[in-house]
Amino acid sequence: MLKVEGLERSYTTPDGLVHAVKGVSFEVPTGSFFTLLGPSGCGKTTTLRCVAGLEQPTGGRITIGGTVVAQPDNDIFVPAFKRDVGMVFQSYAIWPHMNVLENVSYPLVVRKPRPPRDEIRDRAMEALRLVGMDGLANRSATKLSGGQQQRVAFARAIVRHPKVLLLDEPLSNLDAKLREQMRYELQELVARVAITTLYVTHDQSEALAMSDNVAVMSDGLIAQMGPPRTVYNRPANEFVAGFLGGANFLDATIIEADGINSLAAFDEDRGSVRVSLPAGLNKGDRVQIVFRPEDAALRFSAGNNDNQVRASIARLSFQGGLTECHLKVGDTLVRSMLHPSVQADTGADAWIELNPARCTVYPAPERRSQV
Amino acid sequence: MSQISLPSGAVQRARIKRAAKAEKRADIGWAGWTAIALGAAAACYFILGPLLMLLTTAFRGPQDFLPFEDGAGWTLDNLAAVYFDRNLYTTIIPNTLIFTAGSVTVTFLIAFTLAWLVERTDLPFRNGVYTIILFPLLVPGIVLSITWIFLLAPNTGWINVILRTLLGLEGSGPLNIFSMGGMILAQGIGLVPFVFLLLSAALRSMNPSLEEASNTAGASPFTTIRRVTLPVLLPGLLAPLILATLITLEQFETPLVIGFPARINVFSTRIFFELNPDTDLPAYGRAAAVALPFLICGVLLLLLYNHFIRRAESFVTVTGKGFRPMRFALGRWRLPAILFISVYALFGALLPGFVLVWASLFGYSLPSFDILSTISFAGYADLFNNPKFWLAARNTFIVAGGSAVIVTTIGVILAWTILRTQLMGRWVLDFISFLSLGIPAVIAGLASMLLYLSMPIGIYGTVLALVLAYSYRMAVSTRLTRAALMQIHAELEEASSVAGGQWLTTIRRVVLPLLRPSLVASFILLFIIGFREFTIPTILQSPDNTVLSVMMWQAFQGGKTTQAAAVGTMIVIFVIPIIFGLRRFVLARDGRD
Repeated sequence: MLKVEGLERSYTTPDGLVHAVKGVSFEVPTGSFFTLLGPSGCGKTTTLRCVAGLEQPTGGRITIGGTVVAQPDNDIFVPAFKRDVGMVFQSYAIWPHMNVLENVSYPLVVRKPRPPRDEIRDRAMEALRLVGMDGLANRSATKLSGGQQQRVAFARAIVRHPKVLLLDEPLSNLDAKLREQMRYELQELVARVAITTLYVTHDQSEALAMSDNVAVMSDGLIAQMGPPRTVYNRPANEFVAGFLGGANFLDATIIEADGINSLAAFDEDRGSVRVSLPAGLNKGDRVQIVFRPEDAALRFSAGNNDNQVRASIARLSFQGGLTECHLKVGDTLVRSMLHPSVQADTGADAWIELNPARCTVYPAPERRSQV
Repeated sequence: MSQISLPSGAVQRARIKRAAKAEKRADIGWAGWTAIALGAAAACYFILGPLLMLLTTAFRGPQDFLPFEDGAGWTLDNLAAVYFDRNLYTTIIPNTLIFTAGSVTVTFLIAFTLAWLVERTDLPFRNGVYTIILFPLLVPGIVLSITWIFLLAPNTGWINVILRTLLGLEGSGPLNIFSMGGMILAQGIGLVPFVFLLLSAALRSMNPSLEEASNTAGASPFTTIRRVTLPVLLPGLLAPLILATLITLEQFETPLVIGFPARINVFSTRIFFELNPDTDLPAYGRAAAVALPFLICGVLLLLLYNHFIRRAESFVTVTGKGFRPMRFALGRWRLPAILFISVYALFGALLPGFVLVWASLFGYSLPSFDILSTISFAGYADLFNNPKFWLAARNTFIVAGGSAVIVTTIGVILAWTILRTQLMGRWVLDFISFLSLGIPAVIAGLASMLLYLSMPIGIYGTVLALVLAYSYRMAVSTRLTRAALMQIHAELEEASSVAGGQWLTTIRRVVLPLLRPSLVASFILLFIIGFREFTIPTILQSPDNTVLSVMMWQAFQGGKTTQAAAVGTMIVIFVIPIIFGLRRFVLARDGRD
């Protein structure tokens, strides 16, 4: 339904060209939910705005429902108002001079030719019923709570059954508690309308929970793309691992190279771990072992197997349902989650038990191997 | 996101071109381009057109020819005649400087005291005081100047008559409005409401937590004022001071009405008398030559003003409504404060109003009970039977309303173009519209006169010429609309675009309705400015395009005191409904926020 190929967007500045999006390609099948995830400035919002038609790409091609809507090489650019998309803005952009019903009716009212009055009303009310706002149709837009605004914005975006629904960080304006609630609600709404959806967020839990497919973006490019579980469990590189759920990174050296049964030793004889060696790495190579805080179980005495690393407890932070534990492995900080019943003391030695199946190996970054 | 690449060859140039093209909003359609082009062209025409005419006229001669009449040519005679004239250096420039400095000092001392009392002390009846102080803002300067003559003319002025009776003096005096002191007093008091408005806004916009932080850090209230309040407010206080200087420099009413009989010429009256000499033909080139340095002064002051405004904006951050500024307890200063305000209200608003109405009913005589029986509505009867009065009233409404509509419309287009497009040259438009603030009305009038006299179409002397000449004051509406448009999240427009609305639909259904409060404010402000205007219609006057302020002046000059006072009263009566409209409008807006 939505196809983006080699999308580029550059800006002129006094210092030359700045590339915000440097060649992004992805495809969203009809009815599926696709998320662009990344830190601010990674180009995800620019990509979304190019799809919406609010910004002109400088390269590549965007196709919606089989129609090319943007292709600078052929001088094709369909402005936003001629594209069949619905969009929920970060600020919701509810027009304050219109009431709820007028806001939702707008996409039908400005349609050419304009549908009959009754049809506009029926369809707007239907959209409002879907989001549970039909009882507030005549309320002034200035008298809506954050959650209600989001519902109205959603109703307005889907009222004309667009081919593609675009969501630009729709939860970022809500406070933490409401955000979680609205996330579930949004998830249900999207499932109910079954529209092809492109979602932009910097919140990894939103992305992982809601999407059929996630693309993690960094510096104008897609760093990794795939179903949430794959991206989380098998991050393709250091950036993705670090951005998704606070990974731990430990330096190590390959001491046995034997495919899926290789052995990596941590520095200063702190321990070792059995790993599956990626292609191109050999014995003696410097690597980084990456694992998640929830996979770092603690033991307070040395075990006798390979998969552990010696550390000392640097800080304990009780957070109710769990205790977050910061450990020092040499100079490197490692985070681990403890059950609150576990007794531990700051300064004490501890051994991190590693699950080989949950560890990923990356070649050590160039810069560090040169030092 | 930021990776900066250096240009390398044709490929790179093509990419830059493409990026630059993509940055422009291409989806505004032909309607959008037409609107922007028309707005930009109109702004350039109304501001740059007359100014270019002025600039060239200064170098055209001989002096009694129109600048582009047959027989006129390039010359430096005008400049020589003006700048080799000792009179310029011995009287015009010193007079202008003394008048400006004196008036601004009077204005600022009074306005600052008033603003401080109303905004930062526990003065009683603050809202009522606020309204009283602002009232004279709506009365044309020419009316105020003439009421000062009623009060302080050496022989017949009410105050002089009373003083002579009280002190047992003979002859004339003791006070004389026809002096530099009189000019300064009249002008200084006349400008108080405007400066008060700006100063009170500046005082109100200060975040009180800045002062509270100083207090909790252990500073005494006095130390807090000295080390926190004043330094933070300084740019916000200096900006109105500069603006007051600019406005006083361009003043024409007071120097004409009070300065002329006193033989005190300043630059604005000098220009006027070059155009209306007693014996000779108008000397357009010399008038333009006098105008040039003052135009430069005006623009320099304007740049200074801009500098302070920017600093003030970066200093003072109001983060929300419902501020409760720290108010100083007046204590035993309460009575002197009330006295000060009463004296100002008496001389700034009440007495001028009273003397005006009185003179329209009883002529030039001092009020007394004996005279009440001689009340005469003849002045009004004459006025209402005089078709010239109705013509002038109609002209005033047409000119004020017409120019307010034109300027508000252009203001919206300029503000939208400046904020919402990436067009090259949009900052030039911003600068041009801002420039209009630095153009003295005398110069705007003179420049329009030259332009419309030179145009082959018979526009000179018509009401239309006045509408066009008034329409140069674009800064007010552009600034107001820009501020309002900045408050409108761009996503509100984008939402309309994504919903299927074309540019014109978006403007009509989203932008304009959201801007309505500021459009109304801009219209009302410009309407009041237009209604008060005296300088431009005086310079461009003809029998057909007389406006009320000019009619009042003509009557006064012709010795018809009662009629002049009646016209002045009628101006105030016409203006009063506008005050209430404005008040209701402002209150409604505050209520909604």
